[in-house]
Amino acid sequence: MAGERSFIAILIKRLLLGGFAAVVLLILTRFVFHFPPVFQAMFVLYAGLGTVTFILLDAPAVSPFGGVKALVALVVFYAVLAGTFIAGANFLPQYDPMVEKGKIDKIVKPKLAATDKGKMDALLKRSVELNAQSQAIMKRLEALGGADKLKAAEGDKGGGGDAPKAAAGDLIGLGKEQYDLQECYNCHKIGGKGSVKKRGPTMDNIGNLMKPEEMKEKITNPRSWMAEGFEKEYNKKQMPDKYKELMTDQEIDVLVAYLASLKDASVETPKPIKK
Amino acid sequence: MEHIRNHRSVYAYAALFLVLVFAVAMPVGLAWAEDAPAGAATEYRDIPGMGSRNLIWIVAQQHLLLAGFVLGVPIFAWVCEIVGVRTGDQRYDKLAKEFTKLLTSSYATTALFGGILLFLLIGLYPKLMNYLSDVFFPSFLVYCALFLLETATLYLYWYGWDSMQGSKKGLHLFLGFLLNVFAFFIMIVPNSWATFQASPVVIAEGSMWARAWAATWNPTWWPVNIHRLIANVVLGGYICGAYAGLKYLMAQNAEERVHYDWMGYVGNFIGVFGLLPLPFAGYWLMREIYQYNQQMGITLMGGFLSWLFILQAMLIGILFVGSNYYFWLGIMHRIPGSEARYRRPILAMLVILLVCLGVWMTPHSLVASLEEARKMGGTHHPLLGVFGVMSAKMTVSNLMILVTFMSFIMYWRAGKEETARWAKVAKAGQGVLLGIAVVVVVVLGVWGYFVPAITRINYFSTTQVLVVLFVLLTVTPLTGLLMKSARTTTEMVWGVMPGRAGYVLVLNAVMVILLMTLMGYARSSSRVHWHVYGVMQDTSQYAYSPALGYAAAIMALNTFLFCLLVAFIFWVASMGGEKKGGPTDTAHTKAKDAASPAVGSAPAASTGHQ
Ligand code: HEC
Ligand code: HEM
Repeated sequence: MAGERSFIAILIKRLLLGGFAAVVLLILTRFVFHFPPVFQAMFVLYAGLGTVTFILLDAPAVSPFGGVKALVALVVFYAVLAGTFIAGANFLPQYDPMVEKGKIDKIVKPKLAATDKGKMDALLKRSVELNAQSQAIMKRLEALGGADKLKAAEGDKGGGGDAPKAAAGDLIGLGKEQYDLQECYNCHKIGGKGSVKKRGPTMDNIGNLMKPEEMKEKITNPRSWMAEGFEKEYNKKQMPDKYKELMTDQEIDVLVAYLASLKDASVETPKPIKK
Repeated sequence: MEHIRNHRSVYAYAALFLVLVFAVAMPVGLAWAEDAPAGAATEYRDIPGMGSRNLIWIVAQQHLLLAGFVLGVPIFAWVCEIVGVRTGDQRYDKLAKEFTKLLTSSYATTALFGGILLFLLIGLYPKLMNYLSDVFFPSFLVYCALFLLETATLYLYWYGWDSMQGSKKGLHLFLGFLLNVFAFFIMIVPNSWATFQASPVVIAEGSMWARAWAATWNPTWWPVNIHRLIANVVLGGYICGAYAGLKYLMAQNAEERVHYDWMGYVGNFIGVFGLLPLPFAGYWLMREIYQYNQQMGITLMGGFLSWLFILQAMLIGILFVGSNYYFWLGIMHRIPGSEARYRRPILAMLVILLVCLGVWMTPHSLVASLEEARKMGGTHHPLLGVFGVMSAKMTVSNLMILVTFMSFIMYWRAGKEETARWAKVAKAGQGVLLGIAVVVVVVLGVWGYFVPAITRINYFSTTQVLVVLFVLLTVTPLTGLLMKSARTTTEMVWGVMPGRAGYVLVLNAVMVILLMTLMGYARSSSRVHWHVYGVMQDTSQYAYSPALGYAAAIMALNTFLFCLLVAFIFWVASMGGEKKGGPTDTAHTKAKDAASPAVGSAPAASTGHQ
């Protein structure tokens, strides 16, 4: 059949064309643009999709079939589609659920443990310790008031061998963890990171502007203080009023310890106004 | 006959119900594992082996897909009915009726899954359901009332079809309208529950109704309502197309081939028209999510879910290419003698589409491996960055829409010659309009890089969308006018499409369904370990998000199950259809040679190009 012969010619021509496009794309993405491997593969696949579409446009019709045969063909067709889809999804970098599990454990475990009578005492003891520790730090913080010393304690744990300093570092680390877990960065900026859209005030110098108790008051009751220049946000009750329920007292304390360590006077931080 | 048919479908339903009950009850009965100590209220129950979350995942997805189908089909049917009245073409009325017939059985199946889902949720997630009932109880009542209204209207609409022909057709159309209004509200009420979980608005004071209303009108409620409404039309259209494609593949004779070829065309057409505005709705939704909660936006677009959007781009890409391909096949096969003329434009369109898709799937920033990230120069690769930003994406999605629209116009016009004197001018005007639109979209897209984001989002992107909408809304009626007076040079030949046309229709439907399952996963996973974002934590053992590869397997399973259910629904509906007229009745009497192509209303039987 003449039609078939000419289709083979078309097939070869378009395969060559598509292959050429794929090679060009591969060279471009790999050696010119240095795309990650996944994207190199994606672009080659797109060339393949285009080639197949273009070839199919002129492919001769296969003789139709009906009944069971058609049904089987369809199921096979679906199996191929689903297989490709699943394979594609597996080929992409996989997110590791363990990462999130670890994060969840930090939030959930203490609460679960609290319901478990056996672990209750251990938890209680730990929190008493933590509380005592944080109170000690709090006092020190107020007494010293030196940002540099605290920064040093944070950055260089155990370097000086000074026990309270190391503890402060731990505490600040724990506080930073709380800050991340509670996603304060959604609205606040510290060290230039967080809230792209400037929803809430920058907090780089908050340690110089607010006393720890005042911060605690603000977190547990956002109505208690207002950042200067954020009247609109304050009136719209932008800062959520939920941390009192979500966080334990200790968690708030370590968070405050972290915030109190933020004393970078070079970054303009809105003044808190008592309401 | 009617009597027997009812019995048969009752049995079919009984069988389905039993199977489902077993599938659900066995694991539940086995397990009943409560993970709270005695005394405290049970927060979760689990199902060993399968896991409670997987079961909910599957049942909820089936219910959601069925609901999309049940809400999409009335829109589809109603539009077909109107077209039938306007054009006087009886085929449309028949098609509308054929699909409305499906509604009664699919409605029951949807409700069945809804019921199963509700019981499972109450059983497996009591803590969450308690909380949601507390917030939303009033809207549960509204939901029930809507169900009554919808069911009553549906029965009137379906059983009144034949008796309301002629002078009462207006009343019937009004019923169809009502049906769609109720259906819309049935969709948006549960949407409020789902969107509340992602973007909750909780007020402490106020009455029960005030609290429920505040929670209902949450920031992502309307974007999701609109996005889903359109997506449901798309789903309805493509499923109709897939059904027709299947029937076309298995057609026994010429009449059937003609009928199902035409039906496939209508289904694809409605699907494509829904597809065109969908990316806009998608972007609006994404913007609202970002505005409500930046973290959630980042999780979706730049965090661990960002790879998912590559799959999404792939699926949408194949959907766009598949729909265009079907148009192109139509031009080349249904309109004899037009292959040579249209080859070049088709190739050009294919290339533009592929380039656009390439840009679309290029992400802005990704959590790659550290080494990759370094290679990319931080998270912003110079080139990934350029193509990955919103400006580029908006631009290419607008271009893709324009290209698809051009395919359709080209198809519409093929084989016709304008006769009106003003036609030449009008045609040139359309060309100029399209050209200007493309230029404006591209210029704004490039310019978008040099203006502040807020200007771009508020003015440039909006202008792009408005320009494209303007083109769609002016060129379509203008072409319609032109075609009314046009002389047909080559009659459209139905029933000669090659078999792969049927496969493309099936492919498109599968892509849409996979897309819906994928986005369902996106919506749930973007909440990470929260039941209600920022308000109620998920403390079950399944709080973490499953990995993409694993999720994809469940999505494929869900897609397959849904296809089976739809096949079942069509099968149940076909039981009565054999006696009731429709396309199949003549089919059995005139057994023509199955392989010989049929010619529709056209006398010119030119089939030489097969
Ligand atoms: C949804 C956004 C949002 C989140 C999340 C949020 N805040 Fe705020 N926060 C604000 C806004 C807006 C202001 C300024 C208006 C006001 O004072 O109420 C503010 C003000 C503050 C202030 C006073 C700052 C000043 O300069 O006066 C502190 C301290 C603070 N927030 C701490 C936190 C902490 C700690 C968290 C996390 C546990 C947090 N915020 C989470 C929006 C938020
Ligand atoms: C182009 C940009 C698009 C973006 C950014 C986008 C984004 C999203 C997001 C974030 C969701 C989850 C919302 C939710 O249900 O809570 C969603 C849902 C959905 N999207 Fe899109 N979308 C886009 C285009 C499309 C297209 C072209 C389709 C085509 C069919 C589509 C189909 C759907 C469907 C069906 C859902 C509902 C899934 C479900 O919740 O069950 N989207 N989309």
